[in-house]
Amino acid sequence: MKTVITSEDKSFINFKELQGFFGLLKYLSLRDILVRYKQTWMGFAWSIVRPLINIFIFGTLSMLIIKNSSIENFVRVGCGIIFWQLISTVISDSSNSLSANANILTKVYFPKLILPLSTLFPCLVDFLISFILFFICVLFYQGISWHIIFLPLIILHSIIFSLGIGLIFSVASVKYRDVKFILPFIIQILFYASPVFLSSSDVLQLNIPEWLKIVYQLNPLLHIIDAYKFCMLGNNAAHINLVYYAGSIFVTLILCFLAVRYFLKFEKTFADYI
Amino acid sequence: MSEVVIKVENLSKCYKLGHKTNDTEESFVKAISKKIKNGLSPQSNRAIEDFWALKNINFEITKGERVGIIGRNGAGKSTLLKILSRIVKPTTGRIEYYGRMASLLEVGTGFHGDLTGRENIYLNGSLIGMKKAEIDAKFDAIVDFSEIEQFLDTPVKRYSSGMYVRLGFAIAAYLEPEILIVDEVLAVGDSVFQKKCIDRMTDISRLGNTILFVSHNFSTINSLCNTGILLEKGQVKTQGIVTDVFNHYYQTQKITETSFDLENLARYEHKQELIFKEITFNKVPIPYGEQIKFKIKLKNKINAKQFSDLDFGINFCDNNYNCIYHVSNRFINKNFTHCTDDSVYEFNLDNNLKPGFYNLILFLRTADQIQDFLINRVGVEILDGNPYEFNDTNQIQGSVLPNFKITQT
Repeated sequence: MKTVITSEDKSFINFKELQGFFGLLKYLSLRDILVRYKQTWMGFAWSIVRPLINIFIFGTLSMLIIKNSSIENFVRVGCGIIFWQLISTVISDSSNSLSANANILTKVYFPKLILPLSTLFPCLVDFLISFILFFICVLFYQGISWHIIFLPLIILHSIIFSLGIGLIFSVASVKYRDVKFILPFIIQILFYASPVFLSSSDVLQLNIPEWLKIVYQLNPLLHIIDAYKFCMLGNNAAHINLVYYAGSIFVTLILCFLAVRYFLKFEKTFADYI
Repeated sequence: MSEVVIKVENLSKCYKLGHKTNDTEESFVKAISKKIKNGLSPQSNRAIEDFWALKNINFEITKGERVGIIGRNGAGKSTLLKILSRIVKPTTGRIEYYGRMASLLEVGTGFHGDLTGRENIYLNGSLIGMKKAEIDAKFDAIVDFSEIEQFLDTPVKRYSSGMYVRLGFAIAAYLEPEILIVDEVLAVGDSVFQKKCIDRMTDISRLGNTILFVSHNFSTINSLCNTGILLEKGQVKTQGIVTDVFNHYYQTQKITETSFDLENLARYEHKQELIFKEITFNKVPIPYGEQIKFKIKLKNKINAKQFSDLDFGINFCDNNYNCIYHVSNRFINKNFTHCTDDSVYEFNLDNNLKPGFYNLILFLRTADQIQDFLINRVGVEILDGNPYEFNDTNQIQGSVLPNFKITQT
C-alpha cells in the first residue's frame, strides 16, 4: 500500500478511507454518549427533563401569543421543541467538535470529518429518548397517522442541514474563536425564525409586514419542521407544501455539498491553526 | 539493496511569524482603539515573517531501519514527524511511504478522564489505527504490559501519572504497523518501565518493521536505533550509522572547545550590570572520574566600583534537562566581592557523572539582584568509563556512578 503526502488538498470525501476509520467513529460516539451525563445526579433523565422545561416555558409563551390554552397547543409545542433540541444540538456540537478535540487533532492523523460526524450519534440518542416518550403520549392521546413512515427521512434531512451549518462553523472556529461567542445567537435566531413553538400558519396570520412573511418562508428549516409536525400530528398541526419542501431539500443538499468542500479544503491546516 | 519504505523529496515547511511592528508599551485601551481603527484585520499591526522550519529535506529510509532523528531544539525534528504522520501538511515537496504507518507523538492520545481504563484502551487503540478485532486479540497483553489490571474499571482521571503513561504506552506497544513514528515519549515512567518500552520497540523492529525515533537521550537512541539523521536549522546535516551521526552532532555543538566566550551572547532579561565573560575548562572532554576544573571571568558593564555578595550557581544538566550537580559558593560559605574584571573564579569539583554530555546553567546574583542567567550555552562531555572496570557503561542506568561495595556474609 502506497501513500503519498503532498501539499495538495483533497477534492472530495475519500469514502474508502473513511470506512477504514469507522471504528474510530464508533468509539468517539460512544465516548460522547458515556461522558455526556457523567457525574450528574440525574444522568440520562436530563435528556427528558431538558425538553420538558423548554416545553413548559415555550408552551406558556405560545399560549400568551396566540391566546390558545388547549392541550393540542401544548402537544404542538412539545413536538417542535423535541425536534428543535435535535437540530440545535447537532449544530452546536458539530460546530464545537474540532476545537473540543484539539488535543487529538494535533497528535494523530485521521479524516477530520470523523469529528463532526461523531457528534451526531450522541445527539440522536438524546433525541430518541425524549422522542419515544413523546411518541407514546401522542399515540394514546390522539393516535398517529400513516404519515409517520416519512419521519426517518425528515430526521435525516434535518441532520444533513444542521451538519452542513455545523461543518462551516467548525472550520471557522479553528482560526476564529469568535465563533464560540456568535454561535449561540445564531442558534437563537434560527429558533425564532422557525416554527418551533408557534405554527408557521399562526405566524403568517400575525400582523407583520408582507415582505417579512416572505423572508420567513424562505427559511429551509421552516419546511423541515413543518413536515415533521405534519407527520407526527397530522393536518391541523402544520400544513405541508410539497414544492417548498422540495426546495428545502435542494437547498440542504447544496449547503451540505459546499460545507463538505469547504471543510476538506482546510482540513490539512487545522493542526497549524488550532 | 533493500527496499525503500519512506522517500522524502524536497520537503519544506514554512510558518508565518507575526511580529509587532512597534515595541513600545501599549495600554489595553490603546491596543483596542488601534484595532478598531485598523478595521479589525488581525494582521494590521503585525509584520509577517516567513520561518522555514524545514527546508528542502531529502532522504530515504529502507525497510527494517531503526532511525534516530537527532538535532537541537528548533532543528525541525517535531515538524518533520508531524508532517510524516500527516498531522500538518508540507508547504512544498512530497513524501511517499509504503505500508501502514502509525505515529506516537504523545502517550495516551485522546484519553478521556471520565472513561475507565478499559474504555480508553478501545478509544485510544482506534485513534492510533487499530481495528476492534486487533484490540480484542491483544487486550490481555496490553493490560499485562501496563500493570494496571486492578484499576481497569477505574476512570483514568483517578490514575497516577505513572499508571496513565504505562497504559498509554502499552496500547501503542501492541500496535504493529510497518512504520512506527515515536516522539520522545519514553522520557516518562520509571527506568524499569523505560527499559521495558525500549525492549518492546526493539522486538517490534526485529519483525522487520521500520521505526523513526526522536529523542535527546543519547543512550536511548544508541540502544534502539541503528541509523540516524541529524537535522540542523531545518536541513539534513548527515545521515548514516547512528554513532557517526552522534559524533557529528557533538562536533557541531563545538563541545571540544575548552573556552567559551559568554560576553557577546544574547540575553533577554535580568540586571546585566555584571555578566559572565568567559568560562574556561582546563581539559575537554573530561575523562571519567577526573576532577572538573573551570575558571570563570566576569565583566563589569556599568563601571561600578564593586559588587559585593556574589552568588554563583552552576548547574550540570543531563540530556533530559535533569539537574545533576548544583554548586554554589553560598553552600560552602565563601564570600566574594568583585572589584576588578581581572579576578578569576576557579571551580574544582569531584566528578562521578555518568559518561555523556552535560549542559551548564550559569547563574549570577549580587546582593539581591539577579545579574545574569545563561541556560544551555555551555556544554561538556564526560568521556566513557566507569569506576568498576565494567566493560559496557551503557548498561549502567542512573546519572551518577557512586563507589560502592557489595559483600556477602
